[in-house]
Amino acid sequence: MSQQTDTTQHLPASGFGAGYLAGIRDVVVLELKQRLRSRGWYIMLAIWFILTGLVTWLTWASWDAQREAQSAYSNVLPADAGPGSMIFEVVLAFVLLFALLVAPALSANAVNGDRAAGTLAILQVTLLRPGQILWGKFFAAWAAALAFLVASTPFLVIGVALGGMTPGHVLVALLMLAVEVGVVCAIGVGISALAGRPLFSIVVTYLAVAGLVFGSLIAFALGTGLSQGTIMANQAQYRNYEPLQPVPDETVPEEPEYTCSGPLRAQPAVRTERVAWMLAMNPYVVVADAIPYTVRVNNRFGLSSPVGAIESISQGARYAMAGPEGTYPCANGKAQPRYLAQSTPLWPLGLGLQLLLAGLLMWLGWRSLRTPAHRLARGTRIA
Amino acid sequence: MPAQPESPRQDGISATAVSRSFGQVHAVEHMDFHAPAGKVTALIGPNGAGKTTLLLMLASLLAPDSGTITVDGLDPHHHRAEVRKRIGWMPDTLGVWESLTAREILTQIARFYQLPKAGIPQRVTEMLDRVRLSDLADQPARVLSRGQQQRLSLARALIHDPSVLLLDEPASGLDPGSRVELRVMLRQLAAEGKSIVVSSHVLSELDEIADAAVFVNRGKTVRHQTTDEAAASGRRYAISATDGAALAAKLTQLGLAFRVEDGRRPAVSLVLLNDDDAARLLGDLVLAGVGVSSFAPASGALEETYMNLEGERR
Repeated sequence: MSQQTDTTQHLPASGFGAGYLAGIRDVVVLELKQRLRSRGWYIMLAIWFILTGLVTWLTWASWDAQREAQSAYSNVLPADAGPGSMIFEVVLAFVLLFALLVAPALSANAVNGDRAAGTLAILQVTLLRPGQILWGKFFAAWAAALAFLVASTPFLVIGVALGGMTPGHVLVALLMLAVEVGVVCAIGVGISALAGRPLFSIVVTYLAVAGLVFGSLIAFALGTGLSQGTIMANQAQYRNYEPLQPVPDETVPEEPEYTCSGPLRAQPAVRTERVAWMLAMNPYVVVADAIPYTVRVNNRFGLSSPVGAIESISQGARYAMAGPEGTYPCANGKAQPRYLAQSTPLWPLGLGLQLLLAGLLMWLGWRSLRTPAHRLARGTRIA
Repeated sequence: MPAQPESPRQDGISATAVSRSFGQVHAVEHMDFHAPAGKVTALIGPNGAGKTTLLLMLASLLAPDSGTITVDGLDPHHHRAEVRKRIGWMPDTLGVWESLTAREILTQIARFYQLPKAGIPQRVTEMLDRVRLSDLADQPARVLSRGQQQRLSLARALIHDPSVLLLDEPASGLDPGSRVELRVMLRQLAAEGKSIVVSSHVLSELDEIADAAVFVNRGKTVRHQTTDEAAASGRRYAISATDGAALAAKLTQLGLAFRVEDGRRPAVSLVLLNDDDAARLLGDLVLAGVGVSSFAPASGALEETYMNLEGERR
């Protein structure tokens, strides 16, 4: 009885929601039909597949050659986990690079391309709402870009198959790649709704991607120069180096490697945590930081440096994020772990900022699609 | 609470004192326009007169800076969906999704208008028949000729059976046969009670289609005139004869002011008030032994008005 009342009460709302989603789906269908019929998309997909395959094969071949050279000149064979981790990392970096390059091409003319072809107004004059058009364009662009990720999946799986990695790595990596591609697509669609000409919006979207990839690094580097500060720290007393003493338990990290003593003194330090958010916006940092890696323990040589590019990027970014408070030796009289655990992930911050940017652009794009239109960009005809 | 959209008045589309400027350019200034239901109203004016801007505002794509627009008594701002359902708009740019077939385009548009899903295939087939595109229904739109795309565009504007049809230059690019068809179709649609707005430059065409014409120039409504009124205000006839001198002499004798046209064939032209005058003059000329080889309206009734307006402008 009460359930029935509930349904009737909720019908209008859910009916609207379903109708809204149906409209988005119709726009996606319209867009994808066109994309699936353009030869360029297939050609790009084929080139992508071949390139990724080539990179995978070259990475594997170079690892193999290295290994052979090592075994030829020395008797020590590194007890390595195989080429898996290396192939995985190289392919991942490559796929992310090309995904960032392909996504703007697939998304940044979505709206103004239609405007130029005179088909946007035809959509706008129907019962479709501006949000439905924009979301439809976004999901279509995203789906088209995801096809490229699907095409590169076999090579990431090869990385797993050759050892060292778990399927979880591939899943998380693909998920994060998909999200990053989605962010770029949203930026592209938003800009395409704002800019008058497709060429302009594509260039601007590429610049935005370059800004995320390189600009974030440059901004971080320049920002650190402006973030001079001090930190209260005392003296670190490093343990004596005893190479002949056996490590008692290899599984327990022997940290810290020093003890802190003496009075706290203000020491100059770069407060990287103030500008680390810029570093966090880097797609490579987001992807690398999200991929899980096992916390290393001290190895036979007493070192615990990160292994592999993904881990290095993640650790580097976390180091910056922690700032001197968390990384300076004996900051506040406490010994710092050399290796930052993954319990304080950085990627939610970076992804959050990226989503904020993409959301802002989509919202501005939505505003420009509203009809009856009040303001038009200079020199644009609505039809 | 705004007026109930369930009980609309079928009174066509009208704009009252609408203005719209783009930066410094005043595209439309205090323009009044009314297209009653069941009639074909022509929107006539030179290039850049504000026709397309007015049509965009009528189609509820562009908001007027001031003034109001009503569609069957509904305000596009408050009854967005209701108004959209009532408007069919055929733009002057042929926007077609080139890789889709005519059938797919119409199906998509029908879905965007939220027509009942079960009825869509039949409705699409019906519309394709109506614009004679059944044979090309499953060809990608890029292989269609301009005229065929134009007809597809018309079918798209009609797919949801709107009560107001806005056509921006519908006849451009159509072959003569298709023009006649378009004319017949528009008359049919008007007879069904739709209000139809046609903007065009082909004025002789509009004579045959339009019940009334609104002349606009420089963003203003210059004149509103029914086709009958236009015809009643006199029309220029062109007369040519085997012996031009005899024709000129007879016209002078009848005391009629005429103008020697410098066309390819020697001819004179003069303004006659109505059809009776024309019949009488032709009779006189023939009885006087002037070898009349052609005797016909030199221009359409609307064209006459248009040219007069053009003259006033200079």
